[in-house]
Amino acid sequence: MSTSLRPDAAAKAAGRVVFGADLDVPGMLWGALVLAPVAHGRLRSVDLGPARALPGVIAIGADDLDTLLEGRSGDAERPAFPRETVVYRNQPVAAVAAPTLALAREAARAVRVTVDPLPVVADLDAVFPEWPGSEVGPSPRIAAHVHARRGDVDRAFREAATVVRETYRTGSVHPVALEPHACVAEVRDGRWTVHTSTQSPFGVREDVASILGLPEESIVVDGTWVGGGFGGKGSSLVEPFALLLARASGRPVRLALSYREEFLLGRTTLPAVVRMETAVTDGRIVARRVRLLLDVGASLPGRDFATGFSIGFLLGPYRAPTFEVEGYAVRTNKPPFGPHRAPFAPQCAFVVESHLEHVAYEAGLDPLAFKADHLLHEGDTTPLGQRVLPFGLPAAFEAARAVAETWRRDVPDGHGVGVGVGFWSTGTGAGGEARVRLSPTELVILQGEREIGSSSVLVGLAAVAERRTGLPRERIRVEYADTDHAPFDSGVFGSRTVGALGGAVDGALRSLLGTLAQRAGLAPPVSLAVEGGQVVVRGAGAYRPVAELLTAEEASAGGLSAEGKHYGKSGTLDESLVVDGTFYPYTDFTGAAHVAEVSVDRETGSVRVVRYAAFHDIGTVLDDASARAQVEGGVAMGLGTALTEEALWSDDGRLLNAGLVDYRIPTLGEVPPIAVTFVEGFAGAGPFGAKGIGEPPIIPVAATIASAVRSASGAHVTELPLVPERVARAFKPF
Amino acid sequence: MTSPPLRLSVNGRPVAVEAVPVSERLLDTLRWRLGLKGTKEGCRTGGCGACTVLVDGSTTLSCLTLAHEVEGSAVTTVEGVGDDPVGARVQAAFAAAGAVQCGYCTPGFVMALTGLLKERGPADGFDELLDDLAGNLCRCTGYASIVRAVTALREARP
Repeated sequence: MSTSLRPDAAAKAAGRVVFGADLDVPGMLWGALVLAPVAHGRLRSVDLGPARALPGVIAIGADDLDTLLEGRSGDAERPAFPRETVVYRNQPVAAVAAPTLALAREAARAVRVTVDPLPVVADLDAVFPEWPGSEVGPSPRIAAHVHARRGDVDRAFREAATVVRETYRTGSVHPVALEPHACVAEVRDGRWTVHTSTQSPFGVREDVASILGLPEESIVVDGTWVGGGFGGKGSSLVEPFALLLARASGRPVRLALSYREEFLLGRTTLPAVVRMETAVTDGRIVARRVRLLLDVGASLPGRDFATGFSIGFLLGPYRAPTFEVEGYAVRTNKPPFGPHRAPFAPQCAFVVESHLEHVAYEAGLDPLAFKADHLLHEGDTTPLGQRVLPFGLPAAFEAARAVAETWRRDVPDGHGVGVGVGFWSTGTGAGGEARVRLSPTELVILQGEREIGSSSVLVGLAAVAERRTGLPRERIRVEYADTDHAPFDSGVFGSRTVGALGGAVDGALRSLLGTLAQRAGLAPPVSLAVEGGQVVVRGAGAYRPVAELLTAEEASAGGLSAEGKHYGKSGTLDESLVVDGTFYPYTDFTGAAHVAEVSVDRETGSVRVVRYAAFHDIGTVLDDASARAQVEGGVAMGLGTALTEEALWSDDGRLLNAGLVDYRIPTLGEVPPIAVTFVEGFAGAGPFGAKGIGEPPIIPVAATIASAVRSASGAHVTELPLVPERVARAFKPF
Repeated sequence: MTSPPLRLSVNGRPVAVEAVPVSERLLDTLRWRLGLKGTKEGCRTGGCGACTVLVDGSTTLSCLTLAHEVEGSAVTTVEGVGDDPVGARVQAAFAAAGAVQCGYCTPGFVMALTGLLKERGPADGFDELLDDLAGNLCRCTGYASIVRAVTALREARP
């Protein structure tokens, strides 16, 4: 275990790093988007004339795409601008560029958009108003359907001693990176270049190629420093528009969302309704039924990943011999569903944890003992038939339970202590490649991801290299290059960077060390060290300076290079259980158990979090300080999901709280001290048995807070977030 | 509509900026006319604190301040705050405590804390200091490492 300072901290504290929003290129124009005035409607006309009449203004719409793209057709289902129908409010229908931002905004307002309104389907209730009282019938609004079952579920429910049925609702949350989406695009000599604040340069390249119908080789994506991602900068948003404006104007174009637009256009995790049914006999779960309606907004039919991936998290990390799960992704007239740090998993954990706690109370059982009895352990089989890999969640749970028991001994009146768990699988199935280069003085890791703040790139990859080679961190440098110059990587998402890209770095280093051992005539394993200021290769009892092992060609090229790849494998599910749709097996099993003490105001229902403890299995801890920082930040973000954050939509598809004053994220005074503990000994698929840590900390938080609120006040709240009104309405004698 | 050149001092140097519209925010003057991009643009509605600068030593949201309001004043931004011994200590404390993740809120925090430490005496309470910092939002750190940086600064106080 090693701890080091972030290499980017001093430059960031001095305001010296350049984020996407800071880009300023000589001669650039300022872009602005023209947004649809209704949530659903047939476009009669988009009149760009008044904008084009303004001095120096370029304006483009759907009718210009053929010319700008020289007749190429992109993905017909998601053109840059819609031709016939708008499907969510504020969908971009045209774009403008001007010499100043003020003029660009004026030009955007001058564009006359005429739309014949169509009926707005604002939410799930508008599609299936009686659900879960009635069945889900066929509907063109269903974008995806998943269904799996094992055993005779109806019979198990008929014969059980206790059956509990509940309906849960979860709200819409926004990533709220402080830096809005921002980029500068240039098109020259057939090269489409965009400098952009993104979690995935290669992902943006693929997206832009698909939307604009361009070959990937003609596109260069250059990632800038990223002022927060949290899932919101995982795919393209502003880039295709900026590139089209640059193509039309022949000038570089900056396009950044205003913070209001960030809320209006940025992708959110949308609301869901979940029906949970559990049958218990003699303290054992005999059957479960889980049904999900997930609002996916204007997502395209057949391209939903969220439903099939997340429905397993509604079963939770628990055994269920007989079960049925069924989920529907439902399209509404909201912006497309987007990821938000462990997309939808915190909501799933809130639902399953609150429900099983309630089931235990209804069956006269101790909730923590009941959960412990059903937790999945390594070697068990998940309900969907996947064998559980090394999994520290049961150990984390026991540790959390012990803390909860201690805290409960001395909580004052009006306070309560809750426990919640969450599990996750990192996205290490998405592949990555890396190159390393060793010179006589330093080791350089060359790769294609920008540091988004989590430290997974700048600290995580260096920690892998330090551990593999033995070279101290100050001799290791992580270098970024654009999509033309870096090896391919999928992106910084899914807590995959250390596991997948780190795996590629590790592969490259093992190849490098093998070559060095051979050249030095040393028996493997060899390591690297610094002797007299020079990097040396060290074997049993002997060492050779790297400088002596390089060919003249290598020496002039900056050192000896090696490449590595990591394309992870997922486990397998029991496909015989699947009735319909696609379920996704896990690459690894990570988990956490959290404990919170809260106080609840009996008059207002407002909740204050007093103290917090988090127990995490992240496999092998490669950098203790960075991993702890991820837990602290993830818990704080989870407190927002639990208590205050909810994007509110009107019946006509309008986002009502598009700003930081009305959409409340946690502030400095609202986050309690957080004690972080890692339970070790459960190796993951990453280098040295590491598992990712970016997402897991947010997952158990809402569940933990709900449990603590119930303990404090008796309020069993079945809807997220736990705003005071909902808590107060749920008060009852405990 | 424009007015005569705007004269002010930025990071200790006198500047005169031509043709600044009367409606222009100090944030935009600093970033786009003077090239001082260390001051971050967040919400532009005073909700996040990312744009915090010092005007004559007082913490000020540059997004809610018109450039012409600070005519004749001394403006300090994150690019210049390191010349002040308190500012330099704050920057070092943030780096040492790892109170920096994505770094987008960091300049605002550095400026707000520097201003608060200079305005307040050693007798002022720690909790009040944190209360006053609560107008600055951070989405990455959960504030824990920022509180550690503030604690370290208080303990190291001469």
